[in-house]
Formats: sequence, structure tokens, C-alpha cells
Amino acid sequence: MSEATQVRRSSLISNLFPSVVSGIILGVIGAVVCGLVVGALVQDNQDAAVVAAYTGWTIFFFIGIGAFNGVWKWGFARRDPTHAEELQLAGQNQGLWRYFRFTTDHKVVGMQYLATVLFLFFIGSMGAFMIRLEQSVPGAIFFDPSTYNTIVGMHGIIMIVSAIIMISGPFGNFILPIMIGARDMAFPRLNALSYWLLFSGLPIFLSTLFLGGFPTGWTGYAPLSVQELTPGMDAYCFLIIIFALSTMVAAMNILTTVLVLRTKGMTWGRLPIFVWGVVLSVLLGLTAFPSFMVSQIMVLMDRVFQTSFFLAASGGSNWLYEHLFWFMGHPEVYVIALPSMAAAAEMAAVFSRKALFGRRMMLSGLIGIAIISFLVWGHHLYTSGANTPLDAPYMLDTELISIPTGFFFLGIIGTIWRGKLWMTPSLLFVCGMLVNFVIGGITGIYLADLPTDEILHGGMFVTAHFHFTLVGSMVFGFFGAFYYWFPKMVGKRLNPMLAKLHFWLFEIGFLGTFLSLFYAGLLGEPRWSANVAPSYAVPNLIASLFAILIAASVFTAVYNVIITLRSGEAAEANEWGGKTLEWTVPTPVPLENFEHLPVVTSTPYDYGTPSLSEDTEGALSPLPSPSQPQAQAEG
Amino acid sequence: MSTSSTVVEETHELEPHILAGRARAAVILFIISDVMSVMAILAAGGYLSALNVLNQYRVPGDHPPSFVLGLIVAIVIILSALSYYVWGRGAMSDERGVGQSALLIAAFVLMLAATVIQIIMGLTLGYAGNPYHAYESVMILVTWYSAIHFLLSAIVGLLLIGRVMRGRMAGRGFLVEASGYWWYYTVIAGLLMWIFTLVLI
Repeated sequence: MSEATQVRRSSLISNLFPSVVSGIILGVIGAVVCGLVVGALVQDNQDAAVVAAYTGWTIFFFIGIGAFNGVWKWGFARRDPTHAEELQLAGQNQGLWRYFRFTTDHKVVGMQYLATVLFLFFIGSMGAFMIRLEQSVPGAIFFDPSTYNTIVGMHGIIMIVSAIIMISGPFGNFILPIMIGARDMAFPRLNALSYWLLFSGLPIFLSTLFLGGFPTGWTGYAPLSVQELTPGMDAYCFLIIIFALSTMVAAMNILTTVLVLRTKGMTWGRLPIFVWGVVLSVLLGLTAFPSFMVSQIMVLMDRVFQTSFFLAASGGSNWLYEHLFWFMGHPEVYVIALPSMAAAAEMAAVFSRKALFGRRMMLSGLIGIAIISFLVWGHHLYTSGANTPLDAPYMLDTELISIPTGFFFLGIIGTIWRGKLWMTPSLLFVCGMLVNFVIGGITGIYLADLPTDEILHGGMFVTAHFHFTLVGSMVFGFFGAFYYWFPKMVGKRLNPMLAKLHFWLFEIGFLGTFLSLFYAGLLGEPRWSANVAPSYAVPNLIASLFAILIAASVFTAVYNVIITLRSGEAAEANEWGGKTLEWTVPTPVPLENFEHLPVVTSTPYDYGTPSLSEDTEGALSPLPSPSQPQAQAEG
Repeated sequence: MSTSSTVVEETHELEPHILAGRARAAVILFIISDVMSVMAILAAGGYLSALNVLNQYRVPGDHPPSFVLGLIVAIVIILSALSYYVWGRGAMSDERGVGQSALLIAAFVLMLAATVIQIIMGLTLGYAGNPYHAYESVMILVTWYSAIHFLLSAIVGLLLIGRVMRGRMAGRGFLVEASGYWWYYTVIAGLLMWIFTLVLI
């Protein structure tokens, strides 16, 4: 490979520049300089200085990490990069350091997302435990109300951001290209950009702790967000803008990858259901998130330039914010849900050794959800005072969305039904997801109906409902997928006993915590109150006690990951006997995935039919595994 | 870990039709996303206008951005789109030469000029502020959002000029086509937002 000689010899300097180290150094310098300059030019406007500092951080971080190098070379280099240079950019022979650079390999980006999601979940869950600590007894005794509000807001937005990326980020990047038979994503540089955009937003968001926090909760409602005097609110707005850009870039990349890089024979009809779930999810994100970004641009303009998008005294309206926010906010639930549900279906087929039940029905369910999810945002404004004639249609289509959702979950149950079940931790989490989603879904009907929502809105019932749907259902789906694909991604096998312990602690703790909060909500307890009234003390104490089990589950999972990384068994190439393409490549996965691109001639769910290798050519034969599920199920 | 080197590391160039499809798909998806943000801004303006909260949406003295500057920008971006179109037709059929390159440079210079004029328009809106009323707020946002659109197109034009000067456009007609999608979209969005400033009451 003579081209390899054209690649620069690596050294300490070339390793550090560009890398995350040079990015952070330049970013901090940029933030300080921009903040000071704007602070000096525009005195008495703290928000302007803070926003300038964030802008400086972001731009110079990306200069430092080398994100603009490719853009410059695209336009002005004398030649296109050689393949050897592309491989070096993809992290070839760079060991662990490739995870700290602007590396383009989709598997590196997937691992970066996975580590970030786990870190954010850990931080977010710590916030949740602080909330439960505060709510365990009446009286605001651990935190003052302002600190409590900031904790609630940070917990909310960290968890929502994590949940949005938890499937499409790690598995959409690492697994999806292999699943469709591609060597990489369509735009490897944009792939790296999407991750580092997210990364650059995290220090910005955490800076809110030093700037007075923010009082609005995760929704950032205006005009409260505009009237908040401390600059901690700017951090929230800037994070959302950065996150929306990151999501848009990632969505564009994933969609393009699936549109143009499917291998021969991978028709839309043969696409694994997981790929469908991710595609529809990112399509929703691509079209829904711009309104959220615009809303935060408006809030920042109100705060920095004294415009009045949301101030009634100058002709603005809080309803404008609510519309812009919830136009994103409700599809966002399905941005989270679709890939998680699809991953659950994938696991249900593999661990039941059955073809998906009603695959077309499940697919139409996903598509139906994606379409209807754009028509339901108004139900979040039932009690806003807007009182529009559209309330009834919103009520109708909010209830309507339960039909395609029901199709999909019926498909999962039908797949598991009478299957040769292999009760792995992944399938346990799928079963937990089914149980929790029934509770979350049914309680959602009461909130979709205007008369009952008038009573329940703004109370703990709502908190319990959306935790059942987002955490009990979708985060459970994530953990199922985590245990399913971890061996392929990391090359090591997680301890199954600890994984099952993780599940049972989580499920029991979760049910105890949030069923108690349903009861507190029915008693009338409001959300977002630091001080629990004595009449709600018992259910809150029970919820807090059960939350200890959730905390134990978190630490169990963390311990499992740590000991696996240190001394876990090597995983098989096809750990679960799956039939999708990612199980046909070696573990660890080579840099460009396939030696020869596979040709697909059937769907990946032909369990019980002749071996996949008879139907396909090339590299499609599943590799043998000592832990084939048939043997266990039949034994 | 997961991406250790193997013998697979050999040249894997994407086929031309995939390169073309990739470029087209990405730009169209980017445009779809941007359309949603433009729609959000325009819908916000229309919504606030319809609500007219406390009759404070637009107060006496509030005026739209300069009509003359807006008209000049409109003419300039249309000319830029025409230049790009003529250049694109030549580039797609692999025509070369100074005249051909001049058309792209003209398209770029015109887009850059539109950016500058739009910025001047934003700086000379003449609103008193502190605070800006809702109508003024919408006008400020629309004006500057358009400026950012034009700037993005100008950057795309600059990169294309770089590739043309380096002789790296041969056989890359899809780049001309896909960049053109964005170029024309910017012009359409710019005109739409200008008309919006004229008709929004």
C-alpha cells in the first residue's frame, strides 16, 4: 500500500493537534477572548457576553479539533484525499486515542455516542435521586427552591437529550451501516461533526451551574426564560441550538446512508425493522427540531437584544413559545420511541427464534405513528388558556395515535408468543418494556382527554405517565439493545447475572416509584414543587424508598460494564445467532466492515426456514456460536 | 477494541451513481430541514400578527425594512441564480475556459453582494428598541436570517470556485447540481422572506 507512505508520521504533536485536547484549549481561549471583548463593548448586558463566550467556545473548539480542515481541503486542496489519508482520518492504528479525535469511522462515532449516553444517563439519574431525596419528606430541607428547580431542569433536559440520541447515536451509527451492508456512513466527516457538536454543547450546559442555574424545567417556557435574570438560562438555550444542529446533521447523514448505501438486494422490503425505526425517527427529528431551534434563537434574542417575541406587554405571546416548543416536543417523544420500539422488535425475533409477527403491520404502525405525531402537539396547550376550536381534533388524533402504536406492540407480543424463548437480559428488558408501556399508554389516554386533563394537568400524574412511557418503555428498550449489541460493539460479553439483577432492580424500583407517584398525582400533588405537602408525604416516601432500588440498578450496570471492560470474556462474532448482517462480520469489526459487500436475497427473520446461507451469497452466512439459542430452548 | 486493522483495508471507492445520489439526497434533506426553520419563523410572525396581544404587536412608527434595499437584494440574488444556472449548464457538459469560470465567480460575487446589502439592511432598520415590539422583533429575525442564508451560499460558492481553480470539478457534475439545489433554494427563500416583510401587517 504505497499510499500509506503519504500519511504523516505520527508523533506526540500530531496526535495532540488536532484532537479534543487542542479543541478544548482553543475553545477556552476563544470563549474567554470573545466574552471579554463583547463584555467590554456592550456593558450592562451580561447575557451578550455569555452568549459571545459560548459562540467563541463552539467555533474555536471546532477549529481546534480539526473539523474545518476537511471543509478547507474539499474546496482548496490540489487533490482529493487518498484512501490512506481517509483511513488515517478514520482512526487506523491510533488505538484508544482515536476516540478523542475528529475520527470518521462510524464505529468510533458509535462508541463515542454510547459512552456519552451512559455518562449522561448516570449524571441525569444522580439528579433524579437528588429530586427523590428532596421529595422524601415534607419541607424543603435539602435544597433551596431555586437549586431544586435547577436540578429538576438539568435532570429533565439531560435525560431528554440522552433519550433522543440513546438509540440513533450509538446503534444508529455503529450497527445500522453494517446492517444495511455499507462500509461506512454516507458522510463520515459529518458523522464526526454530529457527535462533536453534541460534545461541545455539554460544557456549555454544565456552565449553568456556575451562572445561577435556570428555573424553567426542561421545557424552558417563555416568558419565564426571558425574564430570568441570571445568565444560567443562556446555557440552556445555547445547548438546544447546538443540539438541534447536531441532530439535523446526524439525521441527514443517517437518512442519506440508508437511501444510497444499501447493499445489493437490500430492498426497502428487506430492510431490518430496526433500520426502519431509526430512519423514521431521524426523519421526525429532521423536520420537527428546527422549530425548537428557532424558539431558542428567539429566547436568546429576547434576552440579549431586548426583542419581544414572548413578552405580552410588547405584543409577544407565551403561546408562540408553546406552539414552537411542542411542535417539536410531541414528535420528539416518538423520535425517542420509534428506534427503541424497533430495537425491541429486532430482539423479540432473535430471542424467540421466530419471524416478526405481522411485519407489514408493524411497519405501517411505525409509519402511522410518525405521520400522526405531527398532528398532536396542541394537546399540550389544553390548559394554557388558548382554548382553541382545535382542542377537539387534537383530542381525537392524540387518541388515534394509540392505534398504530397498538399495531406495533401487538406485533412484538405476536412474535414472542409461542416462540422458543431465550430469556436473555435483552428479552427481559423487552418484556419489562411491554408491561410498563401498557401502564404508560393507558394513563396517557386520561391526559389526551380534555376533561380529565383539566384535572390532572400539572400534577404528579403527568410526571408518572411520561416516566412510564419514556423510561419504563423506551429506556428499557435502550438497555435491551445495549445488552444485545454490546458484545458486537466492544467484543466482550457482559456478565448475564449482573445484567438480570440490573433488570429486576430497575423494574421493581421503577414500578414502586412511579406507581406511588400516580397515586400522589391522583391525590392532587403538583409537579415542580420543592416542598412536599404533608398530605402527599406517604406516597412520596414510598417513591423515594423504591428509588433506592433504581439507584442500586444503576450502580449494578456500571459495575458490570467496568468489570467486563477489565476482564470480560471475549464475545463470539454471532453472539445470539442473529440473522441480520452485523452478525456476519467478525468481532471486533474490521475498519471497513466487509471484505466483500454482501448480496441479500431474503428478509433477516427467516428463523425456522432453511439456513440463511442457502438464500444468500457472499458473507451472509451467520457464524456458528457456542451459545446458539435453539440448543438452550430445546434443552 | 472494535476497529482494529485487518486485511480489509484496501481502496473502496464509491461508484459514481452513489456519489451523485449521496450529494443530491443530502442537500435535499438539508433543504427540508431549513424549510422547516423558515416556516417556523414566518408562522411565528403571522401568529403574533393575528394575535396582536394588547394591541401592542405593531405600534405607530414601526415600519418594514427598507423597500429599496430589499428590491436590490431581490434583483441581485435572481441575477446570481441566473449566473449559477448558466455556469452549471456549462459545467455539467464539461465546458471549461475563462468565460465559464467567470460565470461562477459572478454568481459568487452577486451572492456576496446580497449578503453585504442584507447586513446593511439589518444594521439600518432604524428601530428604537429597548424593548423592540413584536413586529420589529420579527423583522429583525427575518432580515438577519436571510443574511445568514446568503452567507452560507456565498461560502458554498467560494468552495466551488476553489475546486474549479484547482481543476477538481471534472466528472463531478453532481456537485454542480447538488450545490445548485441549495443556491436556488436560498434565492427562493430570500424572495419569500422579503415578500413576507412587505405583506405582514
